[in-house]
Amino acid sequence: MNAIVARELVKVYDGLRAVDGVSFEVKRGEIFALLGPNGAGKTTTVRMLTGLTGLDGGEAYVNGHSVVLEKLKVKASIGVVPENSNLYDELTVEENLRFTARLYNAPIERVGELVEEFRLPANRKFGQLSAGLKRRVVIAAALVHDPPVLFLDEPTKALDVRSAKAVREMIGILNKRGKTVFLTTHTMSEAEKLPHRIAIMNRGKIVAVGKRNELKRLIGGKVKVRLSVDPISSHLLRELSAYDPSFDGEGLLLHVDDVSDFIGLLCSLKERLGFRVNHISTELPSVEDVFIELTSGEEERPCACGGCPL
Amino acid sequence: MKIPAIMYKEFKEYLLKPGSISWGVVFPLVFTFAFIVRFGDIDHLAPGLISISVLFATTSFVSSSIIFERRLRTFERLLLAPLREYEIIIAKALVGTVFGFFVGVITLLSLIEFMVYPIESVPLTLTLITFGSFAFSLFGIWLGLYVRNPINVMTWLNILRLPMMFTSGAIESLTLFPAWFLAIGLLTPLTYLVEGLRVSILNYYELFPLGDSLLGLTVFSLLMLLLSIKALKKLY
Repeated sequence: MNAIVARELVKVYDGLRAVDGVSFEVKRGEIFALLGPNGAGKTTTVRMLTGLTGLDGGEAYVNGHSVVLEKLKVKASIGVVPENSNLYDELTVEENLRFTARLYNAPIERVGELVEEFRLPANRKFGQLSAGLKRRVVIAAALVHDPPVLFLDEPTKALDVRSAKAVREMIGILNKRGKTVFLTTHTMSEAEKLPHRIAIMNRGKIVAVGKRNELKRLIGGKVKVRLSVDPISSHLLRELSAYDPSFDGEGLLLHVDDVSDFIGLLCSLKERLGFRVNHISTELPSVEDVFIELTSGEEERPCACGGCPL
Repeated sequence: MKIPAIMYKEFKEYLLKPGSISWGVVFPLVFTFAFIVRFGDIDHLAPGLISISVLFATTSFVSSSIIFERRLRTFERLLLAPLREYEIIIAKALVGTVFGFFVGVITLLSLIEFMVYPIESVPLTLTLITFGSFAFSLFGIWLGLYVRNPINVMTWLNILRLPMMFTSGAIESLTLFPAWFLAIGLLTPLTYLVEGLRVSILNYYELFPLGDSLLGLTVFSLLMLLLSIKALKKLY
């Protein structure tokens, strides 16, 4: 059963198609990431799926409810962590959570549980908290009614390394408890670690969807081999020319299809040419490589999201 | 439970914001005191001065909260929750009503000291202040949602409400003006509160009886409620 289904979603702002025929499905219990540069249409997609912005085309279902026809049911069954930590500055952490609980008809006892679980300073005003702590409170607020699906829009944006790591760990724990997580990010480290599946979005369109390894295969799936040998002769470079050699400061960088075949070749060359191998390491293509490959040649475009001027 | 929760949040978050205090409390009270000092016949000015206080208090308070919420995107908190548009608008209007009621009553108490005649009907006066507060709160909400850039909301509010002080007959009787000005007066929502308060405080009216005042404020409230829902849907 799918937690989220998007079919041919379209959103137009001032003639610009911010979201242009986007389709994907998110399975229950999955962490699904929408990865893309600024202005790709990620936030607009989240706003459409969460009922914050209307659809100009297509259809979408969250927890089996239409985001157009059953908006209130969709809203009651999701938790949303927006890009900005947008709780109320003058209210304490506990007051903010109580307020959210009342909006969702959630039991007030849940507030105490969340304060304890997230180790939140219940009596401090939200406006006085650090960015990392604010993020934790906003995540807690999204969980106050225990929704099965969580939307997180750039959850680690503007956080320091430690706070970002804590948030990522928190997302992992929530997913292990059975929450479906839909997150948007343009941070490669996040995309590399968290999601089960990734959709790469660019210029309002999904350019690829799949598991990390599936996406890596899309760009050829070659393994990067870093090799430091002494001496490097022109003869050696000629023998390795099929592997597209280049120098990257640490030695030779080669792109290899089959590592074991390459090691065999290297051993025979070593015997024949008499060089010494100082260092050899392999590296699989990263999500970043996939992202750059699939979105190359595209300049960032300004955010077309209708929410920005608000 | 949802509407009281929003109301509590609004008071806690926005009661002491500069926009609410300066335009919502300081301006109407200073304006009232200026008239008390300058003119002797406070009795005949009281309905107008109370109406102006209520107009400025309610519209300043609700629009100030909407400006903040739109700019800080906390407004989206309400929109992401399982709430209907009218619930959000009614909750904000009720907060504005409570605020406007208190400012209206403070203005009334300030004026009583200087009035020659006793108030004709205190309960009716308080009822009218409540009606007017609700209607003008909805007006402030509509404008707060209708103006695309929230920074401009206060400017538009002043463009619309400052002339109302004159077109409503709050300060000078509309019967002294030509017919075309009177027509503008009848289209001004403040006129209906001024006329109603004339009946409740002084036991006379200049343009229409009490029933028409209540009807005018009710129609204006419904119109503003519908326009606010439409503006909210259009905005997001």
